Amino acid sequence: MEMRSRSNRFQLAALLAPGLIVFGTFTAYPIFRLLWTSFCDWQLGSMLQQPWIGLANYQDVLSDSTFWTVFVNSIVYTLVTVPGQMLIGLFVAVLLNGIRRFSVGFRVINYLPVITSWVIASLVFRYIFNTEGLLNYVLTKGLGITSQNVRWLDTRWSGLSVAMILGIWKGVGWNMVVFLAALQQVPADLYEAAEIDGCGAWKKFCNVTLPSIRSTILFALIMLTIGGFNVFTSIKMITGGKPAHQTDTLLTWMYHKAFSTGKFGYAAALSFIMALTLGLLAIVQIKAMKNKDL
Amino acid sequence: MRSKRNQRANLLRYLLLLAGAVLCTLPMIYMISTSLRPNGALYEFPPRFFPRLSAVTLENYQYILTQSKFYINFLNSVLVSVSSVALAAGVSSAMAFVIGKFNFPGKRLLFGFIILTMIIPGTTMIVPQFELATKLGLVNKLWGLIPFYVAWVIPFSTFMIKGFMEGIPNEITEATYIDGASVMTVFLRIALPLAAPAIASVSIFNFLTAWEEYPWANTVINDTSLRTLPIAIAGFFGQHQFTQWGYVFAMSVLTLIPVIIVFITCQKFFVQGLTAGSVKG
Amino acid sequence: MRTHKKILAMLLVVVLCLAAGTTMAESSETPVTINFWHHYSAQSAENETLMNVLIPQFESENPGIKVNAVSHEWAELHDKVLVSTSSGSLPDVIRCDIAWLPEFQKMGILVALDEAMPDFAAVSGALLESAMSTAKIGEHTYALALNTNSKIVFYNTTMLEEAGVAVPATMDEWVAAVTALAGTNANGQQTWGWNEPALSGWNLCPFIWSFGGSLTNEEQTVASGYVNSEATVQAVDTFAQLVKDGALTGFNSGDIPMTDGFGTGRYAMMLEGPWKTAELSGAYPDVAYGNAPIPAGAGGSISVLGGEDIAMTTLANQDAAWKFMQFMTSSFAQVEMAKCGQIPINNDALASDTAKNAAYAPFLEAIKTAKARPTVAAWSEMDTELSNAMTAVVSGEKTAQEAMDALAVTFDALLSQ
Repeated sequence: MEMRSRSNRFQLAALLAPGLIVFGTFTAYPIFRLLWTSFCDWQLGSMLQQPWIGLANYQDVLSDSTFWTVFVNSIVYTLVTVPGQMLIGLFVAVLLNGIRRFSVGFRVINYLPVITSWVIASLVFRYIFNTEGLLNYVLTKGLGITSQNVRWLDTRWSGLSVAMILGIWKGVGWNMVVFLAALQQVPADLYEAAEIDGCGAWKKFCNVTLPSIRSTILFALIMLTIGGFNVFTSIKMITGGKPAHQTDTLLTWMYHKAFSTGKFGYAAALSFIMALTLGLLAIVQIKAMKNKDL
Repeated sequence: MRSKRNQRANLLRYLLLLAGAVLCTLPMIYMISTSLRPNGALYEFPPRFFPRLSAVTLENYQYILTQSKFYINFLNSVLVSVSSVALAAGVSSAMAFVIGKFNFPGKRLLFGFIILTMIIPGTTMIVPQFELATKLGLVNKLWGLIPFYVAWVIPFSTFMIKGFMEGIPNEITEATYIDGASVMTVFLRIALPLAAPAIASVSIFNFLTAWEEYPWANTVINDTSLRTLPIAIAGFFGQHQFTQWGYVFAMSVLTLIPVIIVFITCQKFFVQGLTAGSVKG
Repeated sequence: MRTHKKILAMLLVVVLCLAAGTTMAESSETPVTINFWHHYSAQSAENETLMNVLIPQFESENPGIKVNAVSHEWAELHDKVLVSTSSGSLPDVIRCDIAWLPEFQKMGILVALDEAMPDFAAVSGALLESAMSTAKIGEHTYALALNTNSKIVFYNTTMLEEAGVAVPATMDEWVAAVTALAGTNANGQQTWGWNEPALSGWNLCPFIWSFGGSLTNEEQTVASGYVNSEATVQAVDTFAQLVKDGALTGFNSGDIPMTDGFGTGRYAMMLEGPWKTAELSGAYPDVAYGNAPIPAGAGGSISVLGGEDIAMTTLANQDAAWKFMQFMTSSFAQVEMAKCGQIPINNDALASDTAKNAAYAPFLEAIKTAKARPTVAAWSEMDTELSNAMTAVVSGEKTAQEAMDALAVTFDALLSQ
């Protein structure tokens, strides 16, 4: 449809303007600002004067051993939670797709963790996993798996594990709904054709289901990868980065640098490295999914 | 033979789903059960999943509900979430309508850029956004949260609603234009009502986002009287080396109730909204 | 159509709300509101007194002034001040840990009171001189002392009796007692001899000093040879060994919080300040405990000097802020706060009956020999480095000597800034 009259053109602009102004001011501008300040010496108190210092902030970040620790933490978190959520979510969706009764009920229950806020879910997990908590009691006295309490929250990998378990617990419901919607749109005659060819359930799943929901898998993969790098509240609430920042992730470390030590330039450079990593990952994911002719 | 195998498979499905449902709800049930016992019993021995019936108490809820702070926090959260949702719905559907139904120079670029910003996690931009809030005088202002929340949800909302807008048949809109209607009339009279389901489902997501948002609000809000519920809960925890888990969880339960009500009543829209996005994506 | 009218109506409401918000913010200028940030925890007796007794009293004495008191968690208060410095949204008055004062002064956010306030000498003259010295940096004084404190040993009487352990008077006895008190209780749950809720200077300094060590030289210019001296390393090593032996804990994320663990007989001893008395009687009234000074080592029995100053920021409404600061350090306010365990620094309040009968008498003894953490602008960063180094030692990643040698280099660099 073309824009016929001048008045209509004006009205179109009026419809577009509020969104563009809000988006431009509060999202687009900060992105460019982030890039700019990552090249500036921006420390506490130098809010107004931010001299250009080139790549010094990036050098600081990349030569900081804590940065690499938290970088690895974020990568591991993403590598574990993304496939974890997707596999379990897809599995639950397949199960739900095969049943007739109570489907809605199960869907609602599986979605409850998703709508529980991060602050609350993190505190509950912290309470369950604390050294004197219920889980350790069950493990030691109930099941007798270990004789000593496991110090879940106290070391790098065990602390991150708790955050990862929380991430998967909270994310399965979303995957379930997304995959269930995709499964329901797979044409039934494809399955019938496969059955005539003598395919078993597993073969049907691999040859019919997976290729049909490929675009959904890609969508979930990209969204979840972003979500994996976005982990913040759970780390802050569960371990607070302790001991000595070993359980921090990119965002909690960036936040600490900016708002606890006032190194805003460092934080900006780190944020930009992170955005760049995510952009690259998204491109790789899209390329990989497109090339794979299942 | 075949039906027997089917029955067995069905039984297995239900068993697995039941196990999953238990895993999903266990932490929540434990939270509720903890909120119902006196604070002193939290390190009791042996730890119990359910409190002793004789020890069940509502004292934590009483404490929270007699504090005026709680109502202020609650009201703050409602005000911010509802305003953000309403504004985001209006602004995003207008953008989605124009982008979805009209051609103009730079449209692909604009939409592409909006989508691109979705790959940057929100908290990444907290430093420049904080600087912006400072310059605009939005620090420590409750309503200062709203434009940021709206801006965060615009890409996703526009993306979802645009799909719906594109689905509106051109014949309908064309006919209205021939009748002499303006763009604005078509948007308000035809596009908005037809896209209502998408707007509703997006709004539920946006509500959740605003209701539970923690890092940003915690960064820019200082005053006790301006805190939203997530900050209030986080603030309860970890003060002075002793955590009153009973209070923390009682407040958490009270915070979750509105969300669960919204979710259960609107769960149809929820699924619709997700479906539209993922299949198109 | 109904729906779009509804949406329009909602938008309208929102716009009105926004407009109302703006005008309200503007019109509240007429009666002066001063923002007061502190770290009294929200559920404490001190906070109750502040909100229900002191502020109402102040506001009735000064009708034109309203006080907006904001409670932050201790570490968060420091960060919030830092952030607000860059955003220009500082409060008028801050109650801040004496250890932060040099840092805030260096950031240039504090008003030099002796210059700005003509009646400064009269006001500060009524306050304890030693406490006021915490606010003096270089030539000028940047705050009023508000309260003082120190830490002493809290021990669970029952646990010590059952284990047949005497209250430790020396550091050797302390090590033996902490080890002996660790084990399991009747329920088969693990118990620890000592709780230390963090690994920062506030927690470690009493041990380092009592062992005869130190963090820096007297002039606070050099750390090499002090923070890695034999005595300091010995203190760190002893502490870390107790952690490794499972006799000392509390600083891990998964540990039972200090008060809960002490109240339920899982931690036998801890080093804490006067506020703990009120907290224990509120949360665990049944626990039987006693107090003792920190055990003496080669350096004597030396605890850490704590306390808070009340300072005015450069963005403050100076008249109103000064009135409030005078009120908070007045005899009336100090006596009220003394009732919930805050040790006064107002000379009249100190001489009052309330102060004499207060439960904090043993703390006054400890204050006499207590030492302050380094009063340098870089302290917050040094503190973080110290606890990182200590984390590496207790986890066995580094030996005490290695960690302290590395720390000395870091400290030297920070001190020379």
